[in-house]
Amino acid sequence: MRMKYFEDIEVGEVWDLGQRAVEAAEIIEFASQYDPQPFHTDAAAAEASFFGGLIASGWHTCAIVMELLANYIKAEKLASLGAPGMDSCRWLVPVRPGDVLHGRTTILAARPSASKPMGLITVRTEVFNQDQAKVVQLEGVAMYGRRPMVAGDSA
Amino acid sequence: MMYLEDFVVGAEREFGHYEVTEEEVIAFGNRYDNQPFHIDKEAAKDSIYGGLIASGWHTCAMFMRMACDAQNDEGGGERMASLGSPGFDDLKWLLPVRPGDILSVRTRILSATPSRSKQDRGTMRIQIWVSNQKNEIVLEMTSMGRYLRRPTG
Repeated sequence: MRMKYFEDIEVGEVWDLGQRAVEAAEIIEFASQYDPQPFHTDAAAAEASFFGGLIASGWHTCAIVMELLANYIKAEKLASLGAPGMDSCRWLVPVRPGDVLHGRTTILAARPSASKPMGLITVRTEVFNQDQAKVVQLEGVAMYGRRPMVAGDSA
Repeated sequence: MMYLEDFVVGAEREFGHYEVTEEEVIAFGNRYDNQPFHIDKEAAKDSIYGGLIASGWHTCAMFMRMACDAQNDEGGGERMASLGSPGFDDLKWLLPVRPGDILSVRTRILSATPSRSKQDRGTMRIQIWVSNQKNEIVLEMTSMGRYLRRPTG
């Protein structure tokens, strides 16, 4: 399969990012390293917390979204150049052990960069759990490489 | 217990000292963001970044660790009446984070506003900057937290 560049991405496209289960061990492992708060790391303390049980760190949820997206980029051979940031992120529903998350990315806008040889794609990524509740929504811009000119192309 | 009313608008804090290692950058990349410039030193050299860089989400995670540690250092777990975070806005990865960088954090409270619909709680907005050892800002964002209001009576 050939590389997909900025020129190959169309506004309105929806990318199915696939799904992935989240287990308690991974929630605790991520949080122990990066977000050691009791409702992320300690099942008993989490029971007694506002959340009523163990929940994933919001940053862990973002990392899982990235995992789904990065795997899609790899599978589809997309010429991703990373992202300058994220305009908004909303953690809407807690992610809990046993959840199966399913993601999709919608292409909202596309424009060539004025200063660099790349294209800027505005995307909305939504992730749902097995009850079809939206757990996180992210909006932002991502950078993609332009299709290289080949010999014989008119300049 | 720290309530919504205890956040002083304009108050700033500085904290954190996080040494970024190549091993950790690659481990996070392999697990969550397997783009070549996060996991493969050689491929990263040929990328627009000129070398291995941390996933932006890894930088966010390292920020969170520094924030949790600072919380624990101050008052050894004075409990915050935290109801979690609804999210963040205007996250910018301004400069790549590279192995060997040492990160630290500065924050400023932007607002602490009672909820209109739920009288017992409110939302705090906070500006966050993460800098490297050269005092260059590598990440900024506006984050939010929901907190209980101080009980009256």
